[in-house]
Parts: sequence; C-alpha cells; structure tokens
Amino acid sequence: MIERIFLVMTREFVATVGRRAFLIGVVVMPALGLVLLSQLPRLLTSHGPQVSGEVALIDPTGRIGPQLRHALDPVVIAQRRATARRTGPGAAGAPAAPAPGAAVGPIPLLSVVPRQDPGLDAGKDWLRASADVLPRHLALVVVHPDAVVRRSGQADYGSYDLYVTPRVDQDTESTLREAMREALVAGRLASGGIDPAAVETMLSVASPDTITVAAEGERSGQNLARALPFICGLLLFIGVFVGGQTLLAITVEEKSSRVMEVLLAAVSPLELMWGKLLAQLGVGLLTMAIYVGMGLFALLQLSMAGLVQPGLILQLLAFYLVTYLVFGALMLAIGAAISNISDAQSMMGPVMMLMLIPYVLTPVFGRQPNAPLTVTLSFIPPFNSFAMLARLASGTPPPLWQATLSLAAGVVVAAATVWFAAKVFRVGLLMHGKPPSFATLIKWARMA
Amino acid sequence: MTAAIEIQGLNKSFGATRAIADLDLAIPRGATYGFIGPSGAGKTTAIRMIMAILFPDSGRLSVLGRASALEAKPRIGYLPEERGVYRRMRVSEFLAYVGQLKGTTRAQALARADIFLTRLGLPDTGAKKCEDLSKGMLQRVQFIAAIINQPELLILDEPFGGLDPVSVRLLKDVIADEQRRGATIIFSTHVMAHAEELCQHIVMINKGRKVLDEPMASLARQYDRRTIRLVPLDPAADLMALGRLPGVERMRLTDEGCEITLAEAADPWEQMRALTGAVAPARIEFARVRLEDVFIRLVGSGAASPADQALREHLQGLSAQGALT
Repeated sequence: MIERIFLVMTREFVATVGRRAFLIGVVVMPALGLVLLSQLPRLLTSHGPQVSGEVALIDPTGRIGPQLRHALDPVVIAQRRATARRTGPGAAGAPAAPAPGAAVGPIPLLSVVPRQDPGLDAGKDWLRASADVLPRHLALVVVHPDAVVRRSGQADYGSYDLYVTPRVDQDTESTLREAMREALVAGRLASGGIDPAAVETMLSVASPDTITVAAEGERSGQNLARALPFICGLLLFIGVFVGGQTLLAITVEEKSSRVMEVLLAAVSPLELMWGKLLAQLGVGLLTMAIYVGMGLFALLQLSMAGLVQPGLILQLLAFYLVTYLVFGALMLAIGAAISNISDAQSMMGPVMMLMLIPYVLTPVFGRQPNAPLTVTLSFIPPFNSFAMLARLASGTPPPLWQATLSLAAGVVVAAATVWFAAKVFRVGLLMHGKPPSFATLIKWARMA
Repeated sequence: MTAAIEIQGLNKSFGATRAIADLDLAIPRGATYGFIGPSGAGKTTAIRMIMAILFPDSGRLSVLGRASALEAKPRIGYLPEERGVYRRMRVSEFLAYVGQLKGTTRAQALARADIFLTRLGLPDTGAKKCEDLSKGMLQRVQFIAAIINQPELLILDEPFGGLDPVSVRLLKDVIADEQRRGATIIFSTHVMAHAEELCQHIVMINKGRKVLDEPMASLARQYDRRTIRLVPLDPAADLMALGRLPGVERMRLTDEGCEITLAEAADPWEQMRALTGAVAPARIEFARVRLEDVFIRLVGSGAASPADQALREHLQGLSAQGALT
C-alpha cells in the first residue's frame, strides 16, 4: 500500500513541478512581481509628459508672489516630492535634495505671472486665450484679501480660488495646490514675524530605529519583525492555496480524461487520494521553501537573518501541514465530485472562505497578537493556524502548551476532514454528470 | 483450487435504482466468461464491484481467493470501458507507471511494453507522448496497460469499441495468448459475435439480474424450433412456393437456400414434413440458436411471442439447473 501511495505521490509531484505553469507561477511571477514593484514608480513617472506654462496670480495681499515663485521652483518641487515619498526613519526630516535619478516624476515648469488687473473675468479670458499662445496659460490663482492677514474678529484665514485650463493634469494641479499651501503658510508666518525655516526645523523629528531589549540581548529591525506575522500568514496561504488548487485541477482533469478508472484498476481510492494529497503537500512545501529561502537570503544580505528563529519555521511547517490537509482534502473531494472545472465555482466558494477569512484577519492577528480575539481564535479551526502563527511570530510568543493545543485542534479537524473527503472521493470518482449539492456529498459520505 | 471469482447474493442500488439484484456467480480459474446485456443492465457495475471500485450493499464476493480485489489488484488486469491516459506522459512511461502500480518492476514493465507495442502494431511509439496518438492507437496502449502485469484475472470491458478490424484481430490474438497462459478472462461486450468467438461461457445480465449463465457449448446445442433452414436438392427448385404453405409465417432466401419462420400455432414436425414434401431437400434443419437471438429474446421488449417465451423459459431452466462447466 505504502509503495503504491509513494508511486502515485512521486508521479504527481514530478508532473506538477515539471510543468511550465509551476515554474512560471511559483518562481518567475513572484520574481517579476518584485522587479515590477521596485521599478513601477520609476516606470510610471519617468515617461510622463512635462507640463510647462504660466500661472497668473491675482494677489491683493501682495505677499504671495515671491513665496509662490519659490515654491514652484523645480528644485523645490522635487525636494517636496522626494520628502513626501520617503518612508521610514527620517521621513519627517528636513527636505533634502533628491538623489540623482530619484523617481519624483516630471516636474512641471510653472512661471508665476502677477496680474495687476483684479477683474476675474479678464483673468478667465486670459486663461481661455491659452490655446494657441506660448508660453501656455495654465492656471489662474485668485488670493483672498484675508489669506495672509486675518480680518479682525475672524478666527480663520482666507484662502484662494484656483482656475485651470483642461491642459492641467492632476499631478500639476496637486503641485500647484501644494505650492500655494506652502506660499500662504510662509506668508502668514512672515506676517507674524516668524521665520518659516526655523518653524520647519522645529517641526522636523527624525524617527529612530527601534531597538528591542530582551533577556537574550538587543535587536534592531523591529519594523521587519513586525512584518513576520503577516509574512507567515502569507506563506501559509500561498503554500496551501498552490497545493489545493492543483489538487482540484488535477483530479478534475483525470476524471474528465477518464484515466481515473485505469488507476483504480491498480490502486484503491484511498491510496490514490493519499498519493495525490502527499504529492501536493510536497509541492506546497517546495513553494514555501523557495519563498522562505529567498526571504532568508535577502535577510542574510541585510545581516538580519537572526530575526527569524528556526523554531518559527518548524512551527510554520506544522501549521501548514494541518491547514493544508483540511483545505487539500476538501479540494480533492470537490475535484472528485464534479466533472469539469467550471462546476467547481459554486462548491469552492465556501471552502475558499475557510481559507480567505482567517487570511484576511492576519493583519489584525499580527497587530494585536495578545488581544482576546486573537488568543481565542488561535484555538479555533480554521482560524487557529493563522492566529497562532501570528502570535508565535510576534514579540511575545505564547507558551508552548498553547501552540500545542492549537495544533492538536488542527489535527483533529484535519483528520475529520480527510475522513469525510475520502468518503466523497471514493464515491465521486466515477460519477459524471451534473455537480452534486452539498447534501448529496453528505449522503455520499454516509453511503461510502 | 478456489474459483477465480465467487459471488453470492450481491446487491447494489444507486438511490432508487437497483443496479445489481441478487447476483450469484462462480467463475472457475482459467475460464473465459462473456458478460453480455443491454446498456445500463448492470454489467459495468458488477465489474466495478468485482474490482472493488464500487462496494456492494450486500452479498459476498471473493476474487482470486481474497475477500476483496483490493488485496489482489497486482494479479488483476482491468481494461475499463471508460478509459483514458495521462495525455502528457510518454507511452512507455505511462505503461511503466501502470505496471509499477501493479507490482511489476519498472524494467520488466518497460520490456513488456516494448514487446506488446510491437506486437500490437505500435513499434517506435514508446517515446511519443500519449496526446500525439490517435484514438485507436491509444486503445491499444490502454489494452497493454491492462495486461502489462501478466494478470491471473483479466477483465476487459468493451475492449474492441472503435477499433478497426486489423486492430481487433491483433487484440484477439493477444487475448488468445492470455487464455493459453491460463488467465481467467471476463469479457464484457455488446457485440455478440465477439462473445461467441472468444467466450467459453456466457452470463447475461438484464436490469441488474442474471438472466443467463450458460456454457457457450450448451447454447450452441440449442435449436430454434420456429426457424427452419432448407437447402434444396435442386438449385432451381421453386422455393417461393414454400412461403405460401400453411403454417409458414415468413420465408427468406439465403445464399444456399432459404430460412423459414413458422407461425405461432404451427407444429414444427408437421411443417418439416410439409416442407420436404414441397421441395426435395439436400439438407433441412432447425436453426441453431445464435447468441444474438438469445440476447434479443431474453432482454427484448415485453412483447415476446409464446415461442420466444418458451425459449426464454428453456434457457432460464438450463441456467437454474446449474449447467456450469
């Protein structure tokens, strides 16, 4: 029996990982995704058209013009964008010159043209006349008289009105608004006798890296450590999903190609089921090993491999095993019950929910590993694997007995699911025609 | 030595449909049994239960001395009616895989695959992918998969469906070899001529029930007393006149002479005398029962003639007496 299971398992494993689809799905696509993710901002911004033209300014306060000119200086715009895009430590720091080639997008070249004529209609006419003249008339800014100095008795400052031509894109308009905000704030500070540069410096606080002090020592890189629960959840999801989906597809394919009965001439339905289940378990493990390996390699490059404890990888494997057995067995049962893949949708919905809901909750588990909800759900399948892994990967892992209890709950549910799936699998394998209802599946399980 | 297959009181229902009802059967080792019956009669269900692919609701079953085929699968070859292959696998790999599943070593399976592929007119196809083969070629590959383990029990469910006459002949030769090797063969088919040619014993199933369990030799000794075949002494004799004789329902000319179907009430012996009086015969005989006639009469629609009914009762009587070899 073991020999036949091993033969089925080996063939299925080799057939799955040898497919181009596996290589593309598991290795090429994620690698491509990473490349795209890192290069996308540059790709998106480096080829946009540059906008250039004039911005007319009607400023009854007489204090905005120089400030706006400064704020619309291409170098200042680039600095502002670079500061806004930067994340992590020091994000709120003083603006620095962007690194050469930094992805800040095309900088609009906007020159400020003060208009003496306060008439709004004349200003709008100036805008409309922009079609065929160069430099192009792009925007009209009408500053409110109380935009820099409040009227007496009023709590709020005035603002400004903005009129633009259709040629102005959203990016340019945002740049203009940002520049106006900066110019107005600078004008207001100056009118109060405050140095804007001094205020900016005072508001700037560099964010330090967190250093965790524990009995075993100190470690930095807390941001990455905080991401570990999500990473564990993601790995669990990917591993289970890849194996489960393949199980469904292969079983349906074997049914529709009628090779199933040829196999059943040589092996029992149970041997066939275990062979398939173990083969895709191996595929899922291989997938996870590739990702974990890539992650560890990246951490080694950053000298942060110490963040991942070997015990956590073992725990991930244990919870992967029980989660996969539940999901994989159900996918096998569905695959055996239906005759073509299009029939799978209605039956897959509830099964997918079993995986998706706990996965979607992973960020909650990760942010609050010790909250009563997380602790409770870490013992209740199908949430237990995701919740417990999030707790185990957090800075305050639970005691071992809790992890063991959670795993035991998973094992019990996995055993029950595999038992049910085996019954459905045996009856469903040779059934063709319309897909059965859930009630029919229960009936099959009882009659098998 | 125990029988290859022993079945007692086997029952199987699918919902309200009784697929197999009270089936008793004993197939001795080395015999070739034909399972015949109309579509949906229960033949494939019976075979699947023998193969332990389906499980009976009640009854006892033993295969090659084991309580279940699950314990004897390496000794069984099975060509199901609904058969497929792994399309992306190479032919020799597929056969080696099936052989290994049935307990044969990979080297043995590959060697046998090579021999049988050549024998069945498929040399040099071992390295091809299954998806590159025609339907007829695939059927031969599937047949090889069924015998790759040199089974003691070979079950063939409609093995010739869709095959050209040359391929049918090649397969029949291999089946004959398997018979000589001593394999017990169960052969399920709709094609009566195949059953007549290959089988030593016929089991007919209709609506889940066994309606005939008879050695082929015994069937061949049965005569249809309503059908008389006459070969005239004088080839120029007026055979058409025979059709006008009282008691003759129908007359059909054949290559040698004619075949006369008698009316229901006619006495066969009186008619025989009347016919020989009208035309001098070189040979006159009651027609032998053909399997096809048995099939039609036993499973045909309820409107059976009394003569058919008599034949049916006669055949069923023979079965009940346990005229098993």
